[in-house]
Amino acid sequence: MTEQRGRGKRQGGADGGMKELGRAIRYLGRYKGVAGIAYGSMVIGTLSLLAIPQLIQNIIDAITSGYVANQVLALPQLAQGLAATAMGKTLQQIQTDADTALGALFGALAAIVLFSIARALFSFLRGYFSEKLSQNLAYDFRNELYEKIQRLSFSYHDRNQTGQLMIRATDDVEKLRMFVGQGLAMILESLIMLAATLLILALSNWQLTLVVLPTLPVALILFMGFGAISQPLFSELQKRLSALNTVLQENLAGIKLVRAFVREPEEQQRFEGAVDSHLQQALKVAKIFSFLFPVVFLIANLGQAAVLYFGGQQIVYGTLTVGEWQKFSLYLMYVFFPLGMLGMIISLMAQAAASAKRMFDILDAKNEVVNKPGAIEMPSITGRVTFENVDFRYFNSGDPVLSQVSCTAEPGQTIALLGATGSGKTTIINLLPRFYDVTGGRVLIDGHDVRDVTIESLRRQIGLVLQETTLFTGTIRDNIAFGRPDATQEEVEAAAKAAAAHDFIMEFPQGYDTPVGERGSTLSGGQKQRVAIARALLLNPHILILDDSTSSVDVTTEFHIQQALDRLMKDRTSFVIAQRISTVVNADQILVLDRGRIVASGKHEDLLESSEIYAEIYSSQLVEDTVLEADDAAVLAADGEVA
Amino acid sequence: MGFMGGQHRMFGQEVSKPQNLGQTLLRFGSYFKPYWTRLLLIVVLVLVSTWMQVVTPDLTGQVFDCYVTPRLMSGASAAASALMGGGENSLTSSNCWYTTAVTAETPAADVVAGMGQLILQIALLYVLSAVLTGLLFYIMRWIGAYALRQMRVDLFGHLHRLSMNYFATHEAGDLMSRITNDASAIEQAFSFALVNVFSSAVLIVWVVYTMLTKSVVYTLVSLLMMPIMVIVTVYFSNQARKAFRRARVEMGSVNADLQEGIAAVREVQAFSREDENIEQFKTSNAANRDANIRAVAFTSALNPLLESLGYVSMALVIGVGGWVLLAGDGTLAGATISLGLIITFLQYVQRINQPVSQISVQWTTIQNAIAGGERIFGILDTVPDMQDKPNAIQLPQIEGLVEFENVSAEYNPGEPVLEGVSLRAEPGQTVAIVGPTGAGKTTIINLIPRFYDVTAGAVKIDGHDVRDVTRRSLRQQIGIVLQDTFLFSTTVMENIRYGDPEATDEQVVAAAKLAYAHDFIERLPDGYQTILGERGAGLSQGQRQLIAIARAALADPRILILDEATSSVDTRTERLIQQALSTLLKGRTSFVIAHRLSTIRNADQVLVIQDGQIVERGTHTSLLAAEGFYHGLYMSQFRRQVDLFGNGNGVKAPEALPAAGGR
Repeated sequence: MTEQRGRGKRQGGADGGMKELGRAIRYLGRYKGVAGIAYGSMVIGTLSLLAIPQLIQNIIDAITSGYVANQVLALPQLAQGLAATAMGKTLQQIQTDADTALGALFGALAAIVLFSIARALFSFLRGYFSEKLSQNLAYDFRNELYEKIQRLSFSYHDRNQTGQLMIRATDDVEKLRMFVGQGLAMILESLIMLAATLLILALSNWQLTLVVLPTLPVALILFMGFGAISQPLFSELQKRLSALNTVLQENLAGIKLVRAFVREPEEQQRFEGAVDSHLQQALKVAKIFSFLFPVVFLIANLGQAAVLYFGGQQIVYGTLTVGEWQKFSLYLMYVFFPLGMLGMIISLMAQAAASAKRMFDILDAKNEVVNKPGAIEMPSITGRVTFENVDFRYFNSGDPVLSQVSCTAEPGQTIALLGATGSGKTTIINLLPRFYDVTGGRVLIDGHDVRDVTIESLRRQIGLVLQETTLFTGTIRDNIAFGRPDATQEEVEAAAKAAAAHDFIMEFPQGYDTPVGERGSTLSGGQKQRVAIARALLLNPHILILDDSTSSVDVTTEFHIQQALDRLMKDRTSFVIAQRISTVVNADQILVLDRGRIVASGKHEDLLESSEIYAEIYSSQLVEDTVLEADDAAVLAADGEVA
Repeated sequence: MGFMGGQHRMFGQEVSKPQNLGQTLLRFGSYFKPYWTRLLLIVVLVLVSTWMQVVTPDLTGQVFDCYVTPRLMSGASAAASALMGGGENSLTSSNCWYTTAVTAETPAADVVAGMGQLILQIALLYVLSAVLTGLLFYIMRWIGAYALRQMRVDLFGHLHRLSMNYFATHEAGDLMSRITNDASAIEQAFSFALVNVFSSAVLIVWVVYTMLTKSVVYTLVSLLMMPIMVIVTVYFSNQARKAFRRARVEMGSVNADLQEGIAAVREVQAFSREDENIEQFKTSNAANRDANIRAVAFTSALNPLLESLGYVSMALVIGVGGWVLLAGDGTLAGATISLGLIITFLQYVQRINQPVSQISVQWTTIQNAIAGGERIFGILDTVPDMQDKPNAIQLPQIEGLVEFENVSAEYNPGEPVLEGVSLRAEPGQTVAIVGPTGAGKTTIINLIPRFYDVTAGAVKIDGHDVRDVTRRSLRQQIGIVLQDTFLFSTTVMENIRYGDPEATDEQVVAAAKLAYAHDFIERLPDGYQTILGERGAGLSQGQRQLIAIARAALADPRILILDEATSSVDTRTERLIQQALSTLLKGRTSFVIAHRLSTIRNADQVLVIQDGQIVERGTHTSLLAAEGFYHGLYMSQFRRQVDLFGNGNGVKAPEALPAAGGR
C-alpha cells in the first residue's frame, strides 16, 4: 500500500515545476566564477562568430571592386574615363580600388583567421566551463539529495521505493544539470545570436530582411514541433525496446522452465510480437524524422534561394554589392541555427521543470523525526525502558498499529515480543531508537522521553540485529566496525570472536580485509547474521533490539548463532522479536501482541496457563524447536567446540 | 547539430574492433539480400541527391558569372563598345556556361527575369533534394529495421535450439548484456551511420571530383585543411572515448553508493552512520564530477577546432582565389578563376567540411556494429549439440515407468558426474534423491526431460529411450518444479497458466486451490490479475513456490520432477507447501531432490547419491536401520526435523493439524 502512495506522488510531479526550475537556477550563484567564465566566453565567442560574415563581405567586396577596377584599367585609355563615369566613379577612385584591393583582401583574411581563432578559443572555454558548471550543479544536487535521503525518517522511506529515489538522483539530476548548466546558456546564446543577426541584417539591408522574416516563425514552430513530437516517440520506442529485452531476459534466465514446459514456440511468438511492436514504432519514428529533417533543411535552403533572388536583383540594380549578399547569406544561417536550438531546448525545459519539481519534493520533504530544539545528549544508559500508553499510526492516518501499549523493562531484562505478522511487534522495537515517533503516549529510557534527547546520542547506545542483514561495500572489518569506525583491530576481532564469526572470517584468504557487499564476495545467510551480531556487540550497547529468526542455516551454525545471541543479550536490556522457543522460555517478560494491543504478558509458565493466544502461538509457531533445544544442545555444543 | 548530450552518447560507447571483417560483412549482406531492390533504390537516391548537392553550388556560381558579373561590368562594357563599336563580350567572365544570352547591354529587367528562372531551378532542386533525402532515410531505416528484426528473431530461435549445456557455460546475465549491446550497436549503424557515411563519402568524392575538373591547383589549396580536420577528429574522439570510459567507471561507483545508501538507509540510521556515509558519497560523487569534466575537455575542444579549421579553409579559398583574380592574370595553373568560381568553391568547401568529421566519428559506430555482428553470428553459428533424431517418434501417452540403465553423464569431457546409475521407478512411485551438494542429484533429474544426454547407458520412459522420441513430446508429459521459482513479469494468472496455455481461468483457479495458493492470491491487490514484478518480486519465497506448484498441477503431467527449495519460509507457508506437494505427487511418477524429511519418509524409494553413484537405496526406515551413509546424512541434516515430526512428545505433528489452507 505504501508503494502505491509513492507512485501517486510521482504522477503528480509532471505538472508545472517552473518555480522549482527557478530555484534550481539559483544554484548557479554558488559558482559565480565558473558561470562567469562560461557565460563571458559564450558572449565573446558568439560576437566573434557574428564578425565573420562581415569580414567575408569585406573580402568579396574588395575582390569585386578590385576586379572591376582592374578590368576597367585594362581598357584603352579613352574608354577608361567613359567606363568610370558610366559606373558613377572617377578614374581616381577606380585606381584606388585597384591599388587597395589586395591589401584589403589580405587584411580581412588575417582578421577572419584571428576571429575564428578567438571563436574557437572562446567556444572551447565556454564548452569546458559550462560542463564544469553543470557537473558541479549535479554534484550539489546529488549531495543534497543523498544527504536528505540519509536523514529522512523511516516513514518517508516506507512510502518511497529505492528505485524511485535512485531515479531522482540519477535521471532527474542529469536532466536538470543539462538544462540549468548548459541549456540556459544555449538559450541566451540563441537569443543573442538571433537578435544581433536580425539587427545586423535589418541595418545592412532592410528590404532583404523583410524577405527572410516570414520564414522565421515557420521554422521556430517546426523546430518546436520537432522537439515536442520526437520526445514521446522516443520514449515509446524505448519502452518497447525494454519490453523486447524483458522477453529475452526472461527466456535466458528462465530457460529451463521454458524448455521443461515446452513453451519455445509460444515464447518465440511472444518475442516476435515484441520485436514487431518495436519495429512498428521504429518505423513510425523513422517516418516522422525522414519528413521533419529534410523539411528543416529545406526551409533554410529556400530562405537562401529567396535571398539569392532578391539579393541578385538588388545587385543588378546596383543597390547591393556581391559581398553584402554573401554576408547576408551567411547571416541567414546564423538565424536558423539559434532557432533550431531554441526549439529543442524549449521542449527540454518542460522536462527539466518536471525533474526540478520532483527533486525539490524530496529536498523539501518534512523529516518527521528530528531533534527537538534544545534536545540534550542522552547520558550513559542504564537500561530502564518504559512505554506509557503508546499509540501509533503510520503516517498519522489509517488504523492504529499500536494502541495503549504500556510496559516496563528493568535494566538487564529480556523482553520477548510475540504475535502474528502485523500485530505490531516490529513497530514496538522501531519506537525505541526513534525510527518513528509515537502518535500518543511516551517512550522513556531511564526516565528520558526519547524525543527529548538527540537522536544520535540515543541510537549510539542501542544495538540492533535485524533479520535481513545488509552488508555494505567494504571489507568485513569495515562492516563490523560500521557503528564505530574508530574501533581498533583488537576490538573488532574480540567482537567477531564473541559472535562466533572469527573462525569463518579467518578462512577467507584475506581474512578481515575480505571485500563484501555488492561487489565483493558473498557471505551465506548465517555468516551475514554473525557479522551483524559482531557489529552490534562492538557498540557495547545497553539496550539491544533483535529479531532472532535465523535464515536457513545448518544446525551447527544455528547453534553457534544461538550461543552468540545469548552472549549478546547478557546484561543488556533486550527486546527480542522471538522465533526461538529458548528465547521465549528464558525471557523475563513475554509480551503477546494482537492487533496492536498487548493481550497478555508475563513469564512462559504463567502464560502457558493463563493465555489461550499464547498457548496457541506456542504450539503452532514455536514448538518445532523445542526438542532441538532440549535434546541436542549438549551434542551440538560438543560439535561446536570441535569445529 | 551538436546537440546537448549527443557527444556524451557518441563518445560514451565502447569501441571494439572486428576480427574477421569480410565474412561478417557477407553475413550482414545476407540479411539485406531480401531487400536488394530497395538497396538499389538507395544507391540511386544517394547518387541523385549527391548530384543535386553538387550542382546547386555550381548553379549559384552561375547566377553570379552569367547574370551579376556582366551587369557589374555594364558601365565599363558600354564604354568599351561605344568606343570599339563591337558587341564584344570579352569582359564577362569566361566561367559562365549556363547562358550566354546576358551581356552588359541586356536590360536589367531581363537579367533579373533570367536570374529568377535560374534561381527557381535551384529552389526546385532544393525541394526535390529534400524529398529524396527524406525518402532515402526512410528506406534505409526501413531496411535496417527489418534486417535487425530478422537477426533478433533468428537469434532468439537459435537460443532455444541450443542445448542446456550452452547455458551452463554462458551466464544468462552476460549473454543478455552482450546481445542487447550488440543489437543496439547494429541498430545504430543500420538506421543512421551506414547511410550517412555512404552518402557523405559519395558527396565528398563527387564534390572533390567536380572541383578538380574546374581547377586542380585551386582544389588542392581549398582542401588543404581536410587532412588536419580528419586527424583532429580522430585524435580527439579517441581521447574523449578513453576519458569517458573512466567517467563511466566513476558513475558506476556513484550509482552503487546511491543504491546502497538508499536501500539500506534504515541500517545506516540505526547505527548513526549518516555523516560518514554522506562524506563517503561526496568523495565518489566528486570523483565522478572531475572525471566527467576531464572527459569533456576533449569534446569541447573538438567542435570549436573543426569550426575554426572550416573558417581557415574558407579564408584559403577566398584568399587564393582573390589573389589570383586581383594580382594574377585571372588564371591558376591554366584554369580560369572567376568571381562565380570562388563562390562555388566556397560553397563546396562548406559542404564537405561536415561530412568529413561525420565520417570520422561514425566510423566508430560502424566498427562497433561489425564487431557486435561478429559476436551475434558467433552465437548463431554455435551448433546445438543435442537435436531430435531424424527418425524420432512422438512419445505416446505414457504410463510413467522410468528406467535408468547403467547411465553415465558428464558436463565436461573426462569429468563424469554420474557413473553406472541404474534405477527403476514404477508408474506412480515417488523417488526421493538425497545426497551431499555436488553428488549428482540434479544431473539425474536433468536427464529425464533430456536437458542433457547420457554419455553411456540409456534413460527409458515406458521402454522408449528418451533419445528416440521428440523432445517436445517428451517434455510435454513431464512437469518440473524448480528450486528457484522463476516467475514472469506478467499476471499471476498467466504465470500459472504457463503450465498449460489452453487452460481456462477456472482451471487455473482450480490448480491454485489445489496448490493452496488461492488464498494468498486472492489477497493480492488485483487478485489473479496482479502483475508480478521482475522475476516475481513482491511475493515471498514461499508464495512463489506455491505458484510454481500450481503451475505444475495445471500441467498435470504423468512424470513430475521436483527440486525442493532449501530456503526457509515461515511455518504456516511451509505447511501449505507440504500439503500442496503431497497432493501434487499423488498418482504421478515423481523424482524429488528432497530437503524435507516428510518427503523422504513418504517416498517409495530413497536413492542416496554420493560422487555420482547410487550408494544406498531403500526406504527411509530400511536405510536408517542399515546405519550406513544415509544414517549419517540423516543425523546431520534431518535430525531437527525428525524431532519435530517425531516420536510423540505430546506435540501434534503438522500433518495432523487441520488444513489451514483451503477455505
